[in-house]
Amino acid sequence: MTGAPSPAIASRGGAQRPVWWLILPALVLLVCFLVLPYVSIVVMSFREASTRAVYGDGFTLEHYTTVIADPFIWGIVWRTLRTGLIVTVVTLLLGYPVAYHLARTRSRWASVLYIFVISPLLVGLVVRTFAWLIILSNGGVANNALKWAGLIDRPIQLLNTPLGVTIGLIHVFLPFVILPLLGNLQAINPEVAMAGRSLGASRLQTFLRVTLPLSMPGIQAGSILVFVLSISAYVTPAMLGGSQGRTMAVLVVQYLVDSFRWPAGAALAIFMAAITLSVIAVYLRLTARAMRRLP
Amino acid sequence: MRKTLWDYVYTAILVLIYVFLMSPILLVVLMSFSGGEFLALPMEGVSLRWFETLFANSRFYDAAAHSFRLALVSALVNGVIGTLAAIYVAHFASPRLANPLRVLMVGPLLVPEILTAIALLFFFFEIGIGNQYSVAIQVGHIVVTFPYVFLNVASALFNFDRSQEEAARSLGAGRWLTFRRITLPAIKPGLITGCLFAFVISFDIFNISLLLKSVGNNTLPLELFDYLRFNFDPTAAAVATVSIFITFVAVLIVDRTVGLRSLRF
Repeated sequence: MTGAPSPAIASRGGAQRPVWWLILPALVLLVCFLVLPYVSIVVMSFREASTRAVYGDGFTLEHYTTVIADPFIWGIVWRTLRTGLIVTVVTLLLGYPVAYHLARTRSRWASVLYIFVISPLLVGLVVRTFAWLIILSNGGVANNALKWAGLIDRPIQLLNTPLGVTIGLIHVFLPFVILPLLGNLQAINPEVAMAGRSLGASRLQTFLRVTLPLSMPGIQAGSILVFVLSISAYVTPAMLGGSQGRTMAVLVVQYLVDSFRWPAGAALAIFMAAITLSVIAVYLRLTARAMRRLP
Repeated sequence: MRKTLWDYVYTAILVLIYVFLMSPILLVVLMSFSGGEFLALPMEGVSLRWFETLFANSRFYDAAAHSFRLALVSALVNGVIGTLAAIYVAHFASPRLANPLRVLMVGPLLVPEILTAIALLFFFFEIGIGNQYSVAIQVGHIVVTFPYVFLNVASALFNFDRSQEEAARSLGAGRWLTFRRITLPAIKPGLITGCLFAFVISFDIFNISLLLKSVGNNTLPLELFDYLRFNFDPTAAAVATVSIFITFVAVLIVDRTVGLRSLRF
């Protein structure tokens, strides 16, 4: 079809009944139960605590000043960010070869491999984390294997440590970095890399100078996704972390569910979101510079 | 091309990563058939006794039924409103409006689930419904799984040639008939994939359920989480295996009917 609509269609378009009701149910759902709640959580974080209602009447900055002044909370913030950073870097290093291979392969096993990547995503978080509980516990698979190999005499503590949480999160979020990368790498024309090769570049040079820069958008999307997911994760740190591996999300839920400090919990949640957003903003600036030379 | 040493190293690395990806899940399934009392390797024989324990336990059965209901309602509701929204955004919205709408529609995926759960918890208490019924948790599940239907239907519409609709209309078919006979068959793969993923994700999500559940009504992931706080035996592995099985049946349906590659995240 050509660009300009035919006169018949254009004239009928004018007589069409309005169709905005199509979007109405979804709009009501998302405005009422996504946008409004996010607004109300911000409002609540400025309210005084109350023993009788969800929150009191007065306006206060107290919850924010308490959060910012508390070295204990900062300790957990740093640990959460460090864990998120390690998880992001490692998943990227593990996910890139897989995505690269899946994007290029003509093997008849490709769809099986694709299912291998997808299926962990579809098995619940609790189930996947439970698997790591079995592997990492003191009498667990990892310790038994190390003992059997003669590398250790006594079980090493993996559960209830930040290391255990990091390992669990890497496994849980690996598919989230593979999928965006895969979409990106599939869109790159393989002939571009072949051109590089035919002009005399080695495989490594071609990869570093051609493929890697072209896949920057996929790297960016995947790493932001994994970073956000891993610093806001609750299930995995709660199950594998104990008190040593506690993260921001675990702390917020403790405020809300265990001690019912709702306005303080709201302030903590917003503080967490603000930190996440600022890290992403910095990251976007840095990667934008790297991507500026892309076509 | 001739295989170099590097090709073998690369293949070995890939195999290791796939093993890392899959083995924990296979381990859980393996453990549920354990004959011994402990979750450890090597296993002490093989038995189905943990599944017997599981099916005799009404807590897990009730939780599974609750999860199933939540997931089914989420898939059906989103199947309707997600499809309508996708048709509007893909075909009718003005270009200026389409982008902000698209961002709003995938919004639940862009914000951390735990924050959404917290925000919804406060909100439901503020409007006076609280968590005394299953309303809060059901709404939470619908909101979080909405983007899966929207994205999959929208991407099916993206590849759909609208001149077919116009042909039908010009031949005298009404709006409804055109939708049923032309548009619906074209978006069916996206719709099936989207609904099944909404179902699977709803069946598995934890944070929303943790904060919004009504008292005494655990979902299956919550029940498993609670169980693991005080117990550590192959019954938990049996629960996990059953839930993995349900997921894989859903994935198999997608793969057989429309193919997994059509999946959109």
